[in-house]
Amino acid sequence: MKRRRGPGPEPEPEAEPEPDRGPERGCLRTWAAHSRALVERWTTARCGGEARRQLRDEFRELLLSIRGLPAAVPALPLELTVLYNSLLFTVGASDSAVKGEAKGIRQGLLRVLEACGACGEDLGMEELWEKVLQEVTVEELQAPLHRLGALQAAWWLAASRLGSVAGLLQLLSTAEDLGRAHCSEGQNKLLAMIKAWQVPPEEVSLPLVQSAKDLKEILCTAAAFLQGLQELEAGNFPAALSLLQEAAGGFCSKNILAQIYTCLGCCAQRMGKPQTALQHLKRALQVDFQCLPALSHVAAVYHKLGETDAELQALTLLYEALGKNPPAAASSSPYFLMRTEVLVHTPLLTSLLRHHHPSEVKYLLAQRCLQDGRVADAVEHYLDFLSLLQEGLQQQVPLDGSSALPRIPEVFLEAASALEQAGRHQDAITVCEEVISRTTDLIPRVLRVEERLEQTESSLPEPELVGGFLSQKKESMCCLAWRTAGYLQQGWAWAKLGESKEAVTQFSRCLNDLLRVQLHGSGVKQTENLQPEVEVLQKIRLLSLIGRGTQFLELGRNKEALLDFQHSLQISPGDPAAASYLVQVLWKMNRKEEAAAQWLKFSQSSPGEDGQQPGQGRPLPLYLVSCLEQAVFPHSESLARSIQDFLGAAAQDTPS
Amino acid sequence: MLLSEQDQVLSYNGEVLVFQLSKPKHAEEAEDKAMNLYVKRMAFNRDTKLFDQKSSGVFSMGASHSKIEIICCSCTTDSRTGIILPCILMKKRKRNSVKYFLLLLHSSNQFEPSFFFKLDYELKEDIRLFAGPSLLWRHANKLFYISSNTRVVQSAPVHLSSVVWTGEIVGEGTVVLGIRTAFLPETEGSDGFSVSDRAIWGSEFFGYTIQSQKFLTGTCFMPHAYSRVVSSVYVCRSERLRKQLRISLVAITHKNQLIWFQNGTPKGVCELPYEKPRLVKPALTSSSDLLFAVSFASGNSCVIQRRDSLQVASKWQKVKCVLVDDFIGSGSEQLLLLFKDDSNADILSTFKITDLGEVNYSSDINYKYDVPAAEGLQENGLFTVRALETRLQAGWTSVRELQQHLRLQKRVILESCRALRDLVEGRTHILPNSKEVKCKRWARSLLNSAKPFVEGAAINHLPLLLEGLVSLWDDVENPPDSLSKETSSASEVPEHFTEELWQRVVGDSLVVGVKLTESFCLSLSDVSLSLVMDQDFSSVSPIIKCQSKIIKLNKAFSALAVSSSQIEPPPKKMKLDLDRKNDLQKEFLKSSSRIQLDGAKTVTAVTSLSPLLAFHRVCCVVLLHARKQNNQNDSLQQSKKITVLCGKILLSLEDISNGRYSIKMLRDNSYCIGSMEDILAVLAVSVRFSFQIVSCDCTLTPVSSWLMGEMECTPFKECQDNIFCHKAGNVHGTIFNWTLKNPFEGVLTIFCRNLTVLFQCLHSLTRVLPPSCSVKLLRSGSRGVLTEHLALALEKEMLTLKNSLFLKETKAENSLTWRNESGKKINNAPLASLLDTEEGVQQFRKKLQNEREESVRSMNQTMNGALYQKIALKIAEAQLSSDMIVWRLAKS
Repeated sequence: MKRRRGPGPEPEPEAEPEPDRGPERGCLRTWAAHSRALVERWTTARCGGEARRQLRDEFRELLLSIRGLPAAVPALPLELTVLYNSLLFTVGASDSAVKGEAKGIRQGLLRVLEACGACGEDLGMEELWEKVLQEVTVEELQAPLHRLGALQAAWWLAASRLGSVAGLLQLLSTAEDLGRAHCSEGQNKLLAMIKAWQVPPEEVSLPLVQSAKDLKEILCTAAAFLQGLQELEAGNFPAALSLLQEAAGGFCSKNILAQIYTCLGCCAQRMGKPQTALQHLKRALQVDFQCLPALSHVAAVYHKLGETDAELQALTLLYEALGKNPPAAASSSPYFLMRTEVLVHTPLLTSLLRHHHPSEVKYLLAQRCLQDGRVADAVEHYLDFLSLLQEGLQQQVPLDGSSALPRIPEVFLEAASALEQAGRHQDAITVCEEVISRTTDLIPRVLRVEERLEQTESSLPEPELVGGFLSQKKESMCCLAWRTAGYLQQGWAWAKLGESKEAVTQFSRCLNDLLRVQLHGSGVKQTENLQPEVEVLQKIRLLSLIGRGTQFLELGRNKEALLDFQHSLQISPGDPAAASYLVQVLWKMNRKEEAAAQWLKFSQSSPGEDGQQPGQGRPLPLYLVSCLEQAVFPHSESLARSIQDFLGAAAQDTPS
Repeated sequence: MLLSEQDQVLSYNGEVLVFQLSKPKHAEEAEDKAMNLYVKRMAFNRDTKLFDQKSSGVFSMGASHSKIEIICCSCTTDSRTGIILPCILMKKRKRNSVKYFLLLLHSSNQFEPSFFFKLDYELKEDIRLFAGPSLLWRHANKLFYISSNTRVVQSAPVHLSSVVWTGEIVGEGTVVLGIRTAFLPETEGSDGFSVSDRAIWGSEFFGYTIQSQKFLTGTCFMPHAYSRVVSSVYVCRSERLRKQLRISLVAITHKNQLIWFQNGTPKGVCELPYEKPRLVKPALTSSSDLLFAVSFASGNSCVIQRRDSLQVASKWQKVKCVLVDDFIGSGSEQLLLLFKDDSNADILSTFKITDLGEVNYSSDINYKYDVPAAEGLQENGLFTVRALETRLQAGWTSVRELQQHLRLQKRVILESCRALRDLVEGRTHILPNSKEVKCKRWARSLLNSAKPFVEGAAINHLPLLLEGLVSLWDDVENPPDSLSKETSSASEVPEHFTEELWQRVVGDSLVVGVKLTESFCLSLSDVSLSLVMDQDFSSVSPIIKCQSKIIKLNKAFSALAVSSSQIEPPPKKMKLDLDRKNDLQKEFLKSSSRIQLDGAKTVTAVTSLSPLLAFHRVCCVVLLHARKQNNQNDSLQQSKKITVLCGKILLSLEDISNGRYSIKMLRDNSYCIGSMEDILAVLAVSVRFSFQIVSCDCTLTPVSSWLMGEMECTPFKECQDNIFCHKAGNVHGTIFNWTLKNPFEGVLTIFCRNLTVLFQCLHSLTRVLPPSCSVKLLRSGSRGVLTEHLALALEKEMLTLKNSLFLKETKAENSLTWRNESGKKINNAPLASLLDTEEGVQQFRKKLQNEREESVRSMNQTMNGALYQKIALKIAEAQLSSDMIVWRLAKS
């Protein structure tokens, strides 16, 4: 550097080195040049990956050398700037969320105090900032300290420590700034404070890898987004909506903007504004089509609206999109080090942005088709889903709790139900066989429900054990329900095929298995925990009794049929199908008076009970719906007519 | 090597020397027995993996042991022979003085007293043995030294706080590197990074040569800043290059760092694992790694490896001392770690020899990994390979040096050739600067783009401004002498065509504006203004040279004011693709019609003011020229040229001095208040540039924050799309228009006084824009709009062609328009959907075939000449317009 001479004459011999000779290359200048060179390398290349990590290491090393000397005020602006850049690279190169305390910031502040002859080793981060900003009045240090403050705010924001952020901003802002922040009332206070914070002007001699202005904008967006999510979680939807809208107007990447719109959509939906929700979700997809959670939310909104066509379209699209592009991990932006992505991480956001698994979407499609009565489509989707399962359970089905999938046997039963409805009885039987064979070993010989439970509750003091016992019992009951439902469906399928004997066998198997449950007490005051399972089992029993009864009728074994129908009426007094069948059997057996009496009793009590049942009854499992439909008595009108005729005739016979 | 015990160890030629003073058996014997100094030479036995004693020696000193101590020992050069020998510094305490003497140990285990001296104080600080043998120490912040040659204690003329290194430097002899408080020349203390290290940290390094007794500058070792922290230094290499010292060294600091310096600048830093480092020693191990062994005050040690960067390679605790030498005789150095051992008295009982590579011997039997029996042979092979490797490396280095030399030679020859050629031809050849050329070209293209387009921009839905830099008055087809005739024709035009006539003075320009009524605007094209002096100045042409522009401002407020969140929109059916096409078209029609209907247009004329002021008072007639069309679909030929007298303007120097026509833009809170005329006047004199800003990754909010923040802009109260820059300086008065198409794309229109301002704005803008943004100059409307225009123009051209061919003599004008309409309908809607399927394509083909046949049939018809002429003209016109758009598209 000192000698730049051309190939001219031989340079005259230099004077012998003296102790104090001219300007020298001081450390400060060397570091400043190094820092500038590093920033330049970054701004020209904006590299990612390995090169970025290398730059991070070089910044770290530079900081290390600066920290290798005692802190001195003239060197501190440079040191703090290098710290700022180095921290940004730490964020930018790691490609993950900002986590934990920024030790670097703490060290930097301690160095500032060291240079000013103070110390604060034992202070917490908040107090340390307070001490530094109040006690250090050196003019040159203000701008670098403020920039560092912005970074600290980012760190705290990432940790959702909004109070700390507000406190820091209070320290960073002048009274005038705060006055401006207070002027705009009604706005969010933290946002107003961030906006009022005056960014220190960038100095040419201390270049930054990302300007403080950028940082401020990112802080604004992140703060609005984060608070919006918090309000959303707390249920303050209007506040959440305005905060999220604020965030959507801020500086952020495509990715984040789509996420914000998705959250806006969810918020609007929870407010009961489905059309607004749809608009927001559409915007999310327009901004970034990779934001597939938005699409699944769209499907959910259409589901709420009852627009099945649109919902199915959305689900189909979602399935296709999932198949084409497996949702890649958020790629790092090549241009920025600090981004909104690394600051906003809440459980709510993760759950809102949960990527659906293709198999889940497939199941949803199948289920919705079945519920809507699109049997052919439902069958296709169910078969697709089952083949997906065969490819490998672990890869195909998300095993976390938030999945939309029910238990696999239920899916099988639903598939069987769909096949049955589509007229593919043999296939339905095969699918049911699968369920039955798989559950054989899982069912205890005897399952006592009520009394045992009460006993255990009194004898075992530990609630965990009781809980464990309960859940085990519940699991057994589920298995039993699946197995018996399998038999039930097989029974109905055989009935449809005209194989009454086979059907009777299946129904009998179903009823036999159901005998394993021993319900004690009246059956009404069941333990709350097992209530739904018991209800399902009772329904299955009812349906299979009716089924077997009808098959006995077909076979002409009227007595047995009568017995079954009577049983079923015992289980569910006033069940219209069972009652109608009972009347029919009695009629057939020529016990016309009894039939008429039953009919009268039933037709009088039915309207009241009809009104009651849907109110108290929980929704039936989807796989039982088809059986329920099949159990409906088909000839109610003709039967009613003939009975009425009979009653009329009887009335005429008996003169009043 | 200061050890707390009396035993001292030293490595010498791969051996370990252990010095011991004879210990008294009993306390009472101590008083009268003569003291002996023993030395044991220990060598490492690779078979037993233990140190064996090779030989020993003894030196008898006649004094009681309590008064004799070993101070330190080291290997130094004996200046008589040039051989490096171990030497030991001993201390013998007398009644009121202390006698120090130095012993040299020869290979025959004979001790030779070298010199002695007496002091009235005790040596404590920075005692160092060096070549001669010589000795230096620090006492009361002064440096003293004595050598075997002089045998006199000398002192250096320096106050110092510590000595960090003593050793040989090429060409300087023995140099002492010390630290002293900096004394600053008066001139220092300027701002910025030019503040010297000495001024900041307050101390400095100095080098002192013992032989020549002069000072060296400390910066060739390290920056002065480090004088505050360095505790020990090891100079690895020193050489002189063109009379300048080049020194590589490694230093350890109180801040627990090890720093590698080259030529006075730090090249690498490593954090040390323990506190208080005391000493650093280098070791060159077999894998040609440079290791630095650092020992700490706490008795810990660590080794730092220098590969890509400095890294802690290993660390040990409870280390008595670390020696570096080739103990196993492999040809490279290893580290010998001697551990503290309370139980065993023998100093070499617990040790470890390692080079952090293959060599690893430990006294602890459990640790031992025996080399297999065939070790000898394998090892030999290894050594051979290593030697070859070294030779290869040396060879490679020399080849590289040669190459470098050759390159230099070539360059010198080339340079001299060039110089010779220039000398012969007597010229100095300057290469053109390619960058400059590019810049100029760009600036020119910018200028070009500012040129006018009257028609095309009319459907530009962005900032609604129509520019027309219409040619000078005398360029127009109508000769100026027809003025009287035209003014007469002006009376035909109804009064209400013009709403307002105004004038403003902006800088050196006079702006005359005529606001046109909406209904009038619709039927006009090619509108321009001209100014004609009313008075008769015989010497001057009455026509004033001026530029015309049509400006239209959107008065609409931004729709964002209404918060959309409050009202739930009505449910909307999801649109299928087929519908969307129609929808788009509807929208397009709507937007184009909006432009036609919305707001009034103003025609302005801009002229240079100063020439007019020469007349002191001048009265001008303002004339409006336009083509009036009776029907929308009429082509140029049908339109009629009209000229309207809009009124007169009076211009006097007095008024201008009073500021009557000057524009007033006031800043009121968050708005800029200025009359519509003022805004129009500023827009008229400004140069307009539109930039399309597209960000592929992040939203474009920095642009608006730049406008509102850095540029201190405020929107006009009257037309909020446009914002006025209040920033002091050159850019003041610039008007921006920022329209976001979506969060990632927008168009920034800049109305600026001149190009300098434009460049200033752009420069400032580029600094705030996210780096992923692309900024593109829109020369004539956005590409998308132009493409649509082109499509329309081509369609029109095709229709014209088609219609004229079907046209029979008898067919009247109105049939043409009818066909036009119907043809449009057929062509637009189903085309895309038709082409999707195969039958569709077939159908389309059939249709085309029919049309072609029809046209062939019609071709055979005869046509009268006048009609043909008309048709040809019409076609040419249509082609011209589409060519224009193509040209513009190509330019954008």
